[in-house]
Amino acid sequence: MPTDRNLTRQEVSTYATCLLEAARAEDAVFEVGTQLQNALLIVRANMRLRDALKEPSIPSAKRIEVLEDVFGNCDAALVEVLHVMVERDDIQLLSRVCEEYGVLSEQDLNAVIVDVTSAVALDDHLREVLTTKLSEDFGSDILLREYVDPSILGGIIMSTHGERIDASMTSQLEHARGVLSTELSGGDR
Amino acid sequence: MKISAAGRKSLSASLLVSGILAAVPSVAFAAEAGSGASLIIPDMSEFIPALLAFLVLWFILAKFAYPAITGMLDKRAATIKDSLEQAETARIEGERLLERYKAELNDAKKQAAAIVADAKKSGESVKADITAQAQVQADEMIAKAQLAIEAEKNQAISELQSSVADLSVAVAGRLIGEDLSDGEHRKLIERYVKEAGSLNAN
Repeated sequence: MPTDRNLTRQEVSTYATCLLEAARAEDAVFEVGTQLQNALLIVRANMRLRDALKEPSIPSAKRIEVLEDVFGNCDAALVEVLHVMVERDDIQLLSRVCEEYGVLSEQDLNAVIVDVTSAVALDDHLREVLTTKLSEDFGSDILLREYVDPSILGGIIMSTHGERIDASMTSQLEHARGVLSTELSGGDR
Repeated sequence: MKISAAGRKSLSASLLVSGILAAVPSVAFAAEAGSGASLIIPDMSEFIPALLAFLVLWFILAKFAYPAITGMLDKRAATIKDSLEQAETARIEGERLLERYKAELNDAKKQAAAIVADAKKSGESVKADITAQAQVQADEMIAKAQLAIEAEKNQAISELQSSVADLSVAVAGRLIGEDLSDGEHRKLIERYVKEAGSLNAN
């Protein structure tokens, strides 16, 4: 099995490197990374899409057709890489390719990419505040990958390199709910 | 004809009696005649037949009646004696049986009393056991019921608290989502960013 793992790692690295080189040629390393991240989120969130792309009984031409329908507006290089992954039944490696691309793109851009999720779109002032704070934390340039998700109600979620700060309203309300339940339970018995 | 000694004795006594009896009518007859010695001396013409008749009668009685009467009396005496002996024996046996029955009755009374006492004692013991067992079962049932009630109460309280917390959070979330403007959201984000720790784990 170590051989299989090495082979898989090489495959992941190959996909990520090819995509990075293509994105670099287009001077869209960060944008392609963002689209790759979005593609991963879409595949994760949609079970039927995930199953359709992974199902070996479905002809690859049909699967590519589905892929085109969903990700046709993305960067051409990204769509091409996804084509290859679907053809080779490697779509389950998308998560690892995304991670690898993130590492490579940060090295290429010489910056730390931070995913930022908020209930409303950030303005320039907030970007400045965030960039300043994160630059102090990492001692490096910061690139913000912004997401707007009204379901978090408010606040902000920041994540990078597997670390995450969840200062969203939903998490704080959930914490408050837990505290409330615990306090009520503990106080009455 | 031979006469035994007993028979001679009996004959002598009979002659004496007969003589006396023969003399009596003569006296009476003499008194009736009312004349001297003739009043005492019987008339031979009457005396002889009377004597003969007496002798015949005595003989017949001695020969046939006396033995039968004597035998009958002896037999009756023996029967009476036997009856008395049997009665005495029966009385003794009855008294013995009576004593025995009295003793057995006393034993039976004692045994009955002992049985009643044992039954009473056993009954008391069984009653005490049943009472204790029932008490234990009742205590267990009460304890289980109390536990069940306590568990249900706690569960109900927990569910209520959870519902209250959920409702509170939902209301708070709705208020936040509806009432905060974009500017207020951004101010909130800025405050959180400044308060947040470092994202760099290294």
